[in-house]
Amino acid sequence: MGTKRCFALILSAAFVTQANVAGAETLVLNSYGGPYEAIIQERIIKPFEERHGIDVVYDAVGSAQQDYAKIKATNGRPGFDVAVMTASQSLQGCKDGLLEKLAVAEIPNLASLSPGLSSAAGPCGAVHEVQYLSLLYRTDKLTSAPVSWADLLDPQLTGKIILPTFQNIMAVYLLEMMSLSNGGDLIDNIDPGFDAMAKVSAQSVGFEQSSAILESYVRDGSVWAMPFWNGRAQLLVDEGVPVDYIRPREGTIPLIATLNIPVGAANKDAAVKFIDFFLEKSSQEGWVTGYRVGSARTDIDVPAELQRRQVQSVAGDKSLHLPDLMLLQAKLPEWAERWERDVVPHAN
Amino acid sequence: MSSLALDSSPPRTRRRFTGWFSYLALSPSLVVLAIFFALPMGIMIGMSFADPQTLSPTLDNYHRFLTDGLSLAGFCRTAIMSLLVAVCVTALGYPVAYFLARSRTRWRAVVFALALSPELAGVVLRTYGWLIILEDRGFINDVLLYLGLIASPLPLSKNLFAVVVGLTHVVLPFGILSLMTSIQGIDPNLERAAQMLGASRLSVIRFIVLPLSVPGIVSSMLIAFTMAASAYATPALLGGAGFKVLATMIYEQVLFYINWPFASVMAISLLVMMLAISFAGVRYESRRRLRTAGAKGDN
Repeated sequence: MGTKRCFALILSAAFVTQANVAGAETLVLNSYGGPYEAIIQERIIKPFEERHGIDVVYDAVGSAQQDYAKIKATNGRPGFDVAVMTASQSLQGCKDGLLEKLAVAEIPNLASLSPGLSSAAGPCGAVHEVQYLSLLYRTDKLTSAPVSWADLLDPQLTGKIILPTFQNIMAVYLLEMMSLSNGGDLIDNIDPGFDAMAKVSAQSVGFEQSSAILESYVRDGSVWAMPFWNGRAQLLVDEGVPVDYIRPREGTIPLIATLNIPVGAANKDAAVKFIDFFLEKSSQEGWVTGYRVGSARTDIDVPAELQRRQVQSVAGDKSLHLPDLMLLQAKLPEWAERWERDVVPHAN
Repeated sequence: MSSLALDSSPPRTRRRFTGWFSYLALSPSLVVLAIFFALPMGIMIGMSFADPQTLSPTLDNYHRFLTDGLSLAGFCRTAIMSLLVAVCVTALGYPVAYFLARSRTRWRAVVFALALSPELAGVVLRTYGWLIILEDRGFINDVLLYLGLIASPLPLSKNLFAVVVGLTHVVLPFGILSLMTSIQGIDPNLERAAQMLGASRLSVIRFIVLPLSVPGIVSSMLIAFTMAASAYATPALLGGAGFKVLATMIYEQVLFYINWPFASVMAISLLVMMLAISFAGVRYESRRRLRTAGAKGDN
């Protein structure tokens, strides 16, 4: 091929690419990797792109808190249009003026969400899924199924527990539940929680931050029990790993996941359309059956067996304890220090 | 001799032009340094005196750093870890560097490639490699357990040992290059002369090569120390929750607690540590040079 011809081909390719870029609307979605990414791509993003003709660029970098740090560092212009975070970041971002307030006029499906869950996330977050902290255990290793958070102290679990690091919100929720189970409360009287966590830490083989790594310990059988989000736990059950999970008798804390729009998002129209699409009845059914989580919509049709183990509303469910997330956020630095001093050194 | 013959300096106008030209040539680097180094550094120092909530001026962040116990422990951990890595890199790198500097065989190219090969893989990849080897369920423990030599896994990961091993592997090529350059600068005839006068190979290394390669040793120690002290990925992966160094603690403060003022204090403490070590190294080397020059003058 001659040089001129080759040059002409490159030029034409560049023009075609440019034309495509100019023609299609784009949405940058910041979310998670792993099984989450595979399921959201198939069940939400692909149908959304087909219906609206909007290209979704998927950014799987960072946890919810890391994404919020990026939003804060860039003063609301983090380079993505929609962030998948949790109610904690939604409330904080709204307070800091870094997240857009979402209105039913623009996102009609917001009206179909459980009012209790919606209010827990505040006006800047659209609740697209609900999970809870469950106790995951190996069914082939334990002689009897655990029923309580206190079962983490069972002697048969010595050296057979892995714990999340404090930077993973699972650790904070576990600390709070241990506090509640031992006579303390969720925020002000947390001392019983730290005392109990020191004992649980002594049972553990250490700490890991990522859910994927935590999961690997249970998969290979070196760990027999650990706290885990129920959605991820259900995926393991469905995969055929010899595990099951419980909502302990003392109750648990829900993880309210939200979709948020940073104030400086470049493609706000597309972001609004995406959130409304994600909250649609059919999308929620696809998401709940795919990622095995709860929905804030009460009108979805999913198998009863799946629905039975999920959270749909915080109101009236006495087994769910929801701390004041803003107070919790303020307590984290102080608790992190105590965790490093009183809990981490006890691990094996 | 006439004064004309002695005055060999360039004419004044040419000198002035050369001076201006030097400044002009330096200006792009100075601008880049000012924008990307001095300015952020200034912002960071300013931020370290700000209250995390109100941003009003305060010394509380420094007070917390010095009194909470955890931060100073992280500081000491970082210093000990970096010192061990510097010693390991220099001790392991020296024989390799000597071989590379002196060898004329075809193996030189092979050893050179092998010495630098760790740099071909990313830090995270190499660190995960060590994790697979060192963790409780890793290669070493599996083999030892299989052979019945141990009853339970040895604590090889999530501690100082693992981090030092991982970082030594990461930093070793830089230490080797630094030592090699220094050893190459030593005249090989000195070694030959010593041997001809009856010195053993070991004596030549001990009394000729080692003293003359001190600048390379200092440089290798400084490079290894600063690289280890500022490393994040390796301590985060191999140290785990039980072994936190300043770099991992800064990361947590920035991304999880969004407490940038306190993160700034930690970053400044890390900077002070590295500057102090660099200053001590350079000062030691210049004093040694002066002593050597003095000894030569006495002779």
